[in-house]
Amino acid sequence: MNAPCALEFSGLAKSFSGVRVLTEVSLTVPAGHTLGLVGENGAGKSTLMNLVAGNLRPDAGEMRLNGVPHAPASSAAAAHAGVAFIHQELNLFPNLSIAENIFLTAFPRLGGTPVIDRSRVHARTAALLTEVGLALAPDTPVERLSTGQCQLVEIAKALSQDARLIILDEPTTSLGAHETATLFALMARLKERGIAMIYISHVLADVLRLCDDLVVLRDGAVVGQGSCNEFTHERLVSLMVGRSLTQFFPERKNRPAVEPVLEVCNLSEPNIVHDISFTLRRGEILGVAGLMGAGRSELARILFGLDPYAAGKIIMEGESLGRITPKQLIGRGLAFLTENRRAEGLCLEASIADNITLVALRDQTRTPFRLLDFNRWREAIATMRRAVRLTARADDAQPVRTLSGGNQQKVVLAKWLLAKPRVLILDEPTRGVDVGAKFELYQLIFELADRGAGILLISSEIEELLGLCDRILVMSRGELRADLPRAEFDREKILQAALPVEEGNA
Amino acid sequence: MKTSWWLERGLRQAPLVLFILILAIFGALAPKFIGVANLVNIGVQAAPAGIVAIGMTFVLLTAGVDLSVGAIMFVGAAVAGKMALNGAPLWLALTAMVGVGAGFGVVNALFITRLRVAAFIVTLALLFVGRGFALWLTQTRAMNLPDAFLQLGSARMAGMPLPLVLFGLVALLAQGVLGRTPFGRQVLAVGHNRESASQAGINTTYVLGAVYLLSGVCAALGGILALGQLGAVTPKFGENYEFKAIAAAVLGGTSLFGGRGAVLPGTVLGALLIQSVENGLVLLNADPYLYPLITSGIIFSAVLLDSVRSFLLERACRRKIRMEAAD
Amino acid sequence: MADLSHAAAKSVTDRLTATLRRVALSEYLVLWLSVIYFLALAPFTPGLVSPENLVNLLVALLPLFLVALGQTFVLITGGIDLSVTSTIALSSVVGASIVNGNNGWLAGQWFAAPVAVLAMLALGAAVGALNGLAITRLRMPPFIVTLTGMMFFSGLAIWFTQSKNIGGLPVAFTRLGGNGWLAGAIALATGAFAHLMLTRSLFGRWLFATGHNARTAYLSGVPVRGVTLAAYVICGFCAALAAVLYTGQAETGSPVLGQRVLLDVIGATIIGGTSLFGGKGKVLWTLCGVLFLKLVDNSLNLLNLSIFTITMVKGGVILFAALLDATRHRLAGSRP
Repeated sequence: MNAPCALEFSGLAKSFSGVRVLTEVSLTVPAGHTLGLVGENGAGKSTLMNLVAGNLRPDAGEMRLNGVPHAPASSAAAAHAGVAFIHQELNLFPNLSIAENIFLTAFPRLGGTPVIDRSRVHARTAALLTEVGLALAPDTPVERLSTGQCQLVEIAKALSQDARLIILDEPTTSLGAHETATLFALMARLKERGIAMIYISHVLADVLRLCDDLVVLRDGAVVGQGSCNEFTHERLVSLMVGRSLTQFFPERKNRPAVEPVLEVCNLSEPNIVHDISFTLRRGEILGVAGLMGAGRSELARILFGLDPYAAGKIIMEGESLGRITPKQLIGRGLAFLTENRRAEGLCLEASIADNITLVALRDQTRTPFRLLDFNRWREAIATMRRAVRLTARADDAQPVRTLSGGNQQKVVLAKWLLAKPRVLILDEPTRGVDVGAKFELYQLIFELADRGAGILLISSEIEELLGLCDRILVMSRGELRADLPRAEFDREKILQAALPVEEGNA
Repeated sequence: MKTSWWLERGLRQAPLVLFILILAIFGALAPKFIGVANLVNIGVQAAPAGIVAIGMTFVLLTAGVDLSVGAIMFVGAAVAGKMALNGAPLWLALTAMVGVGAGFGVVNALFITRLRVAAFIVTLALLFVGRGFALWLTQTRAMNLPDAFLQLGSARMAGMPLPLVLFGLVALLAQGVLGRTPFGRQVLAVGHNRESASQAGINTTYVLGAVYLLSGVCAALGGILALGQLGAVTPKFGENYEFKAIAAAVLGGTSLFGGRGAVLPGTVLGALLIQSVENGLVLLNADPYLYPLITSGIIFSAVLLDSVRSFLLERACRRKIRMEAAD
Repeated sequence: MADLSHAAAKSVTDRLTATLRRVALSEYLVLWLSVIYFLALAPFTPGLVSPENLVNLLVALLPLFLVALGQTFVLITGGIDLSVTSTIALSSVVGASIVNGNNGWLAGQWFAAPVAVLAMLALGAAVGALNGLAITRLRMPPFIVTLTGMMFFSGLAIWFTQSKNIGGLPVAFTRLGGNGWLAGAIALATGAFAHLMLTRSLFGRWLFATGHNARTAYLSGVPVRGVTLAAYVICGFCAALAAVLYTGQAETGSPVLGQRVLLDVIGATIIGGTSLFGGKGKVLWTLCGVLFLKLVDNSLNLLNLSIFTITMVKGGVILFAALLDATRHRLAGSRP
């Protein structure tokens, strides 16, 4: 068979603000083949796919689609060229119907008039929906659909645009068993029609079963490539984990005390988390591992009083916390660095000074009128800037927006440290941070623990957890799967526990 | 499950429920109120603000706002009045009026889409410019127009008053554009999220520009009907129409945050609702000073219901990690 | 040769661009504009520089400044208050009906004036509180809450007086607005207090944080709802204080008092530099904005231009300021 390959990459590279996320990626997907793309979080899978789908542009290298050079200027151009990207976050308009979402920019019309030919839209949508196996009326509003149904609508949209390549990014994360089966059956049918697919998933058993070829990415480079039957589950895991060359961790001196600062007992919330229990000790760094959508951030939000919980108990320093607001929790010594730095961690347009002092502002004021004591205020800012080693080049009055990711994260950390917290929840503290700043953040985390704070560290980088933590909890589908002390740390064990268990395979 | 569905349904139809409630209450208090003649009358009185509100609906659907509609009405009326008084035929004066509306709409659109100034400020500024210009045209005096204008207001077409026919036609056409053309559907998409609409390949500049043009034209049409009822251009002509129009649209279920709403029944119902309250209060010989109190109270409750609905919807759409109940 | 002159021209243009950029990015741009405007018009405008006119100008801008001051607080949180004008009207008629000499509730009593003023201020704060509660507790959009508020409270003022003005106000009451010195002192004190509050108080910092990013603020322990509510209460209070001055200046309580200043209030605040999207605003900016708008008003009046020209020019000025702001943002974004 020497038909033109549906998709060819040669030597693709991409960096974000100096950090290399993809290096020399070359691969091919023949028409009618399904390529499995696996790798840990942050290995560069999503970046690679965003290049194909026109959301990003490569720094070097070439893409060819059906033999023709492919350099889409926008996602619309990529769609026009026959590439459909089905995201984890779906891109449908909930206020429109299924049919309208599918034909939004290509409505069939009545003759030469600008009037939508409703019967044709209806008929074609109905045909597409039958094709993808969705038994719904074409004019159902999309906001009524489940995530799985939305995914099928996206595929129907791809088919309507005559896509030759469909990229599925973690499509099964939020699907039930039945919906997953529907999706797989559909994929088999698409394959018969000669459509090329790239399937990204953490469920390795699915990847091995569905795909023809496999590519393993690690740190932005291809580390394994070949036909699917050359791989086993074990080999994939070891390829994905690999050996990390560049990362190193500061020396940890103290060991945690036995005294608990935060105890969580049988915490449950329907559809979110189920029966979570653990204890965080003074001076301990407790890691939480898991895949995206495992419920780690949701757990953190419940602990910080942002979301409700139906059952269970949260005990901080011996006192049970009922329904309690973030403000009260901060008063009790809890701090929460959220995963969404820009939307929830910072006031981007406000100055560095204002951001650093936001939480502990009350301590910088003088009674009787609670006016700011500018001397104390400036002193606090200077102290914190030294403590987190914030770049000296930035002025206190400069908007935080102008800082690099690493320095922004230091500002968030400084903001919380100023309030002298006794328990810190850190959700992906090093996401989007370059290597040098990462090391400094690690040192800060150690210093905090050495001073007796309990730290709950959520991270998608297993290396980071292994290097920093005294103990690691592993979550999957809202449940606690493993609780490993340092002596039992093992990359493969963690990954195995994090992968969702599907019926039949493990 | 069942109760929440009913609750949602009820909340979604809040304007209709309110409308029926008001018809029932006033009907019981003043039987004349629900007579055909009076209902037709309500429709005629609601027509000017209703048509302006239809244009406003398009703007609100894109998450924008057009504060200049009242000024557009005034400028259009002043221009048409001047022309008529100088002997221009009626059709020419009215065409000029629509042209003025379109012109203002284009200026709004240019500033908002090309120069990226916030719609609120652009249309606020044009409100000033427009009112000032029209005051200059009329020399701040009331201008009595030829009888042709008043006849326009009382003319009949197929047995129905002309304003009502026009109101109905505009509403049908607008709902057709909104519901049955690609443009209309794209307006909803842009209003839901401009960024993802643009990513989906929609020309958002064109869509945004077009809604302000539409709003300008509708304001001019509303102005024509208002002229037909008054027969004169006063210095207060068109004043507060921007607020009336927003109120009617919001009352009809159009969201100020874009992406949600409809002309039919939505905005038309909203306009009729406000007018029937005023009409009913007149029939009951209520203290006229109470009208704004009651009208604003009704608008407030409709918006309150809407915000409760979106709160419930948001809670129902919370992301799920686990599939606890099998599907 | 050609190259050289080209380079020289380029360096001149560069320097010019740099200067323009510095002026455009200055936070007191409007103040500079006012000064330039004043100097440019002074030779052609009879009486513009006369002491009486300057005093008139300053006295006339005081109440507008107070309303705009309150609006600044609300805009900083990212909200808007359209009900300020009806708050002015309502407090005006309530105050006047307490204090007037004909049939006032406290007619002729020595404490009538202070009680009336206190009642007006309390009423303003209460209207603000109602707005704030609907916005923070019922999660309704500020625009529509305060729009219905505008209709309701102005309707209430008209119903309350049956659309009649209330005259016969005692001097003890009208002096507050009528006497330039007293009015100036009130406005100055309020402005200074507000300035202190915005720049140095805990509440001020919370206000900005709420406007910058309410989500971040909430997660950082800022009582976002309380702060937002307080901003609307302050806005209502300031409007009522302005009503005291307006009523004093007009010497009557009127249910349509201030009906025409809504767009002036928002326009002046925005021209000063306060953002409609929250997180930005200063008392001095607002003062500059009000000064500029009133200066335009005053000079056009002196030029014997009619009300309609003034209205038009005002619209142009607002649009110009908004364009300038949009350009400014683009410039700031392209800063190295």
